[in-house]
Amino acid sequence: MRILLAVLLLLLAACTSSTPQPVRLKVLASPELADLGPVLEELKRATGVELAVEHRGTVEASRSLAGFDLAWLSTTRFLRLRGAEPALSTSIMTSPVVLGVKPGKRAVLGERPTWADVADRAAVGEFRYGMADPRVSGGGMAALIGVATAAAGTGAALRTEDVSCDRLQGFLTGRVFDVPDPIAEYARRSDVDGVVAHESELLSLNASGRADPVEIVYPRDGIVLSDYPLMLVDPAHRAAYDRVVEWLRSAEAQRMIAERTWRRPVDPATPRDEKLRADIGTALYFPDRQEVLDRLLLFHDRAGDGRQVIFVLDYSTSMRGARIAALREAFASLNGFDRFHVGETVTIVRFAGSVLEERSITVRGRQDLDALLAVVASDDLRDNTAIWAALDHALRLARGETTVVLMTDGENNAGPSVDEFLRVGRGEVPVYPIRFGEASAAELDRVAQASGGRLVEAGAKSLLEAVREIRGCR
Amino acid sequence: MQEPEFRAVDPRRCFLLWFVPPLTVFVLGLVVLLVSGHITGPFRNVTVVRALLASKRDFFQDEQVKRILMARGYQVHVTPAGSRDLARKPDLDSYHFVFPSGHVANEHVKTRRTGKHAVPFRPFFSPVVLGTFRGYAEALVRAGVATPHDQGEQPLYYNLDLQKFMELVEKHKRWNDYGAANGNRVIIQSPDPCKAYSGAVLAGFLASARDDNPPQTVEAAEDLARRIKPQIDAQGQTSEDMAPKYFAPEGPTHAAIAVIYEHQYLAHQLEKRGADKERVLLYPTVQHQSTPELISFTPEGDRIGELMMTDPELRRRAVELGFHSLGWNGATEQDFAGHLSERGVPEPPSGERGRVALPKAELFERMIDVVGDCR
Repeated sequence: MRILLAVLLLLLAACTSSTPQPVRLKVLASPELADLGPVLEELKRATGVELAVEHRGTVEASRSLAGFDLAWLSTTRFLRLRGAEPALSTSIMTSPVVLGVKPGKRAVLGERPTWADVADRAAVGEFRYGMADPRVSGGGMAALIGVATAAAGTGAALRTEDVSCDRLQGFLTGRVFDVPDPIAEYARRSDVDGVVAHESELLSLNASGRADPVEIVYPRDGIVLSDYPLMLVDPAHRAAYDRVVEWLRSAEAQRMIAERTWRRPVDPATPRDEKLRADIGTALYFPDRQEVLDRLLLFHDRAGDGRQVIFVLDYSTSMRGARIAALREAFASLNGFDRFHVGETVTIVRFAGSVLEERSITVRGRQDLDALLAVVASDDLRDNTAIWAALDHALRLARGETTVVLMTDGENNAGPSVDEFLRVGRGEVPVYPIRFGEASAAELDRVAQASGGRLVEAGAKSLLEAVREIRGCR
Repeated sequence: MQEPEFRAVDPRRCFLLWFVPPLTVFVLGLVVLLVSGHITGPFRNVTVVRALLASKRDFFQDEQVKRILMARGYQVHVTPAGSRDLARKPDLDSYHFVFPSGHVANEHVKTRRTGKHAVPFRPFFSPVVLGTFRGYAEALVRAGVATPHDQGEQPLYYNLDLQKFMELVEKHKRWNDYGAANGNRVIIQSPDPCKAYSGAVLAGFLASARDDNPPQTVEAAEDLARRIKPQIDAQGQTSEDMAPKYFAPEGPTHAAIAVIYEHQYLAHQLEKRGADKERVLLYPTVQHQSTPELISFTPEGDRIGELMMTDPELRRRAVELGFHSLGWNGATEQDFAGHLSERGVPEPPSGERGRVALPKAELFERMIDVVGDCR
């Protein structure tokens, strides 16, 4: 009888599905997925598939998946822009790219801040943050896209022509570091107000007690949601891939992912912690051209300290009334993305028959901007117009990378003529004349062309648009 | 005289008393599992059928469907692909059957299989619809482009006037112009029209809103495509497979309006017994019934197709998953509305209004290529 029973048991054991062949797969994964260790242990136990993971920033990893069996990145978006997305990919979990803010600094950003608010406070030195390098990391790139989309203000996906350099600069002024692991750097330092990262990383940081808990800010104008697709790179491993995906999407694995790594499960039935139920708001439309990202990175690399803008402003009596009012209005409305930012040197040269006032300020905070407005508010208008003498004076003030903006409404009737002015070599500083009223278009255009700048009609576009277009980086 | 009683304790009997009841339970359970298809016995051969599937993989990935097929001796191994992508796959011939979601892709597949085994089955259909959320639907009502379909307090279906909607889109209106807290432009998000049938249908919808007469020449098709292209480009990069994202708790973040199939929505509501009052559907003035075709390349594929057409359990499950089932003669079967209302889901307005007139297949293809910059 016993023998019979034993035979029966053996037979049954043979019938139940045996554990599949153990497999070891090479996986390229985003760096933040280093927290999946315990999940991968369990995966190996349940499916026999071991994932040997190499971590690389998502933007960098998306340049080539060669040599790997699977890829597990925060998104396929960068791969798709290159037309290099593997045919099979399955989203496993999600997490938005957001801002973690030190509780004491939270009020600076306002109640429900946008990326525009963050850039604005960063530009005047009131908010200092860290992020990952956008040339390498998906999180860093998401932040750049967020700010640039907000700056463009079209409500649609960013196009190449929407990316403007000066608006990124203000945001980047507040950046204290762009290391590969911004969370660790943030936890280590005390002089930083916030950090751009995935919600999951910030919740993990808060749970770990490594730093004072950060408050999570979901920018109101739009976040970028990472959906962590597992991709089959080498089709030969289809069977193992199917096993891994099936297990990762099982109730057990989804619960483990939510509990251990603070990512949002894709299975709606998985129970979630209160913190993973927070409303993350709107997502940004994501650009669909690689050139847009290339341009963002180009401007990102160029942004830096030590730029100078010199405004040469005509305060002759003919400017009285509407023209001077328009000029002041243009200055007053330079805020938000168009604001002068910390580290930028702004020089104002007021002139009539001679230079009336010269004021240079390297912006360190909000009060410096007020001082600039005070210069422009002057009612000291005089007779005569010595355009070329004033411009000559301004060009002597140029240091390093400089742009000169010349605003005038009259004919030159004092000092050197345009021919005399142009006879002297003027170097590399571009001059952007903005023409009001009767000023000679031909002369202004000659000077603009000779310097590498461009003539702007104050009437054709609003003055504000003109100022926005020409200041900032080239 | 009383005989002395001998109670012989039979050890075998004792063992059997202990052993037989659990054994009975075990054997009965095993039989039930085998019959229902939960497990396979050592005496049954399971045929693995390889299939290339678009959105209809929802059906073959359903646990009950898998069980029913297993009980019939089949396991369908699913490889996902968008319908238009599917029709162009270089390894098309390596599958037992494919299941594109709509007409153009169906025809493309059949053309590629000319002279080879290609048997079509049409077990069901489902309209292409626009999935949104109550807040956005109400914003569209305020904008004067949508109206609730039923009178209840929380209608699940709205009718969308595509022409008026298209005007909002072309004027670059934002959601917050109509009281929804979202600064993004009002647009519809779809999968890549180059790859997915539902993405192509969206282009068809927008084109019909611009011109009710489908273009008759290549030039007219390209011209119309260029007129609607900016409204499709505004969404930026498309994302594949919108339905799972739409039904996730983060759904409103993924897309304000997503192109999905009606069956996906009904399956969700049937499972919740109509309790999800947040997710609602917009039915465009002109609708599009997609008739997916199971196109079989082998006898194994034929067998799956026949089961889809005749197996009562599979056909009942299809209705439970929100499909309008079709018989051999192409007529609708089963009490679709009755089935829904029994489970607390109101009948959707599918098929009530006109159908979108899509251009002829080759002109439609050309239009999509222009709209999507398809490579």
